[in-house]
Amino acid sequence: MLLKIKQEWLPLAAWFILALPPMQRFLEQSMVTHMLVQIPMLIIIGWMIGKTLPAEWKAKIAPWNRWGITGMALTIVIMAYWMLPRSLDGAVSEWYFEVLKFITLPVMGIALNLSWPLLNSIARGVLMLEFWATLMRLGWLYLDLPDRLCANYLLSDQRILGQLLLLGGSAYAISWTLRIMFGTKIIKA
Amino acid sequence: MRTFLATTLIVITGLLILWTSTDGGRAFTAEEARRLDVRENPRPVPHWQLENQSAEIITVNNWHGHFIVVDFIYTSCPSVCLILSSGLRTLQKDLADKLENSRLHLLSISFDPEKDTPQRLKEHLSHFSADLRSWTASRPTSPSQREAILDFFKVIVIPDEYGGYTHSAGYHVIDPEGRLVAIFGVEQLDELKEYLIQALNTENAPQD
Repeated sequence: MLLKIKQEWLPLAAWFILALPPMQRFLEQSMVTHMLVQIPMLIIIGWMIGKTLPAEWKAKIAPWNRWGITGMALTIVIMAYWMLPRSLDGAVSEWYFEVLKFITLPVMGIALNLSWPLLNSIARGVLMLEFWATLMRLGWLYLDLPDRLCANYLLSDQRILGQLLLLGGSAYAISWTLRIMFGTKIIKA
Repeated sequence: MRTFLATTLIVITGLLILWTSTDGGRAFTAEEARRLDVRENPRPVPHWQLENQSAEIITVNNWHGHFIVVDFIYTSCPSVCLILSSGLRTLQKDLADKLENSRLHLLSISFDPEKDTPQRLKEHLSHFSADLRSWTASRPTSPSQREAILDFFKVIVIPDEYGGYTHSAGYHVIDPEGRLVAIFGVEQLDELKEYLIQALNTENAPQD
């Protein structure tokens, strides 16, 4: 029982740590940590909250979210919003954008957790492929653009982020290929 | 059915939110947004006190009735300010008649007032062979004023890795009534010139 309570509080504790102003400033001073550490962590926190949600809540949500479609739509809208350079700049300069970010990204994580297992396998494949393509596209864009997309970040930061996205995308593609070639077991082992 | 309803609702609201937060697909970056915003909502420029290259106190009101082109600089800048300022030099050359007829003024504002003393500002101007009658360089007189000015123009200045700054670069146009009416990017010098020529000509028309 004690362990169970602990597990439920863990994501909330992580959320509070991320929301501490010095932590915010630290992670947001670079585009790389903002986009590759803070934002993914907020989504993972949501995912973990989704996992520990009481069963009766899940049962109430389920008829509104058959095949996970509603949740995926919400996920895509939130993701698209935070991919706008304007939104990211807003989160750095205006407190209300920041509040919005700290709420919507965990919500996205919850939606993803509730919906992903319900999703049709073809839809999953398409979304994973699209996610990978987004990593590569953005990586290429960030490397190639002569101008800064975010007024709050340096061009050199944008370049590093581009490289990391391409690297991450490639690793993702390789792991995926291995999985298709040799089955799931090898990757898990 | 409920899933269908909920999904439709989310997709429609989502599209609406994305539409409005990009000003109808016209501004995806903060820089585009600030340019669009001043075009659609011209704002009166407050009369901050600035110190010019001769250590005199000036305000933008000094050139009331003129179009003013403002750029933001710091004099030790190795990159984009140089492009901005040589852009102003081009304007000084190409629009010499307008400048002489006291219809147009060029104003460089430093956001590094600690280092940019009037002496440094003077050197900056002479480096670009500025005509001091039509081109003024200045610095804010207090840190709070520096913040207010950057805030008003939505110019974001961040320290870079070489001890200098990276900042939003552009030409900010103030109209004869003292309103900020347009912002042009560094690359839009030709558009800026075109805009000024047209604006000054239409302004002229009723008088001629």
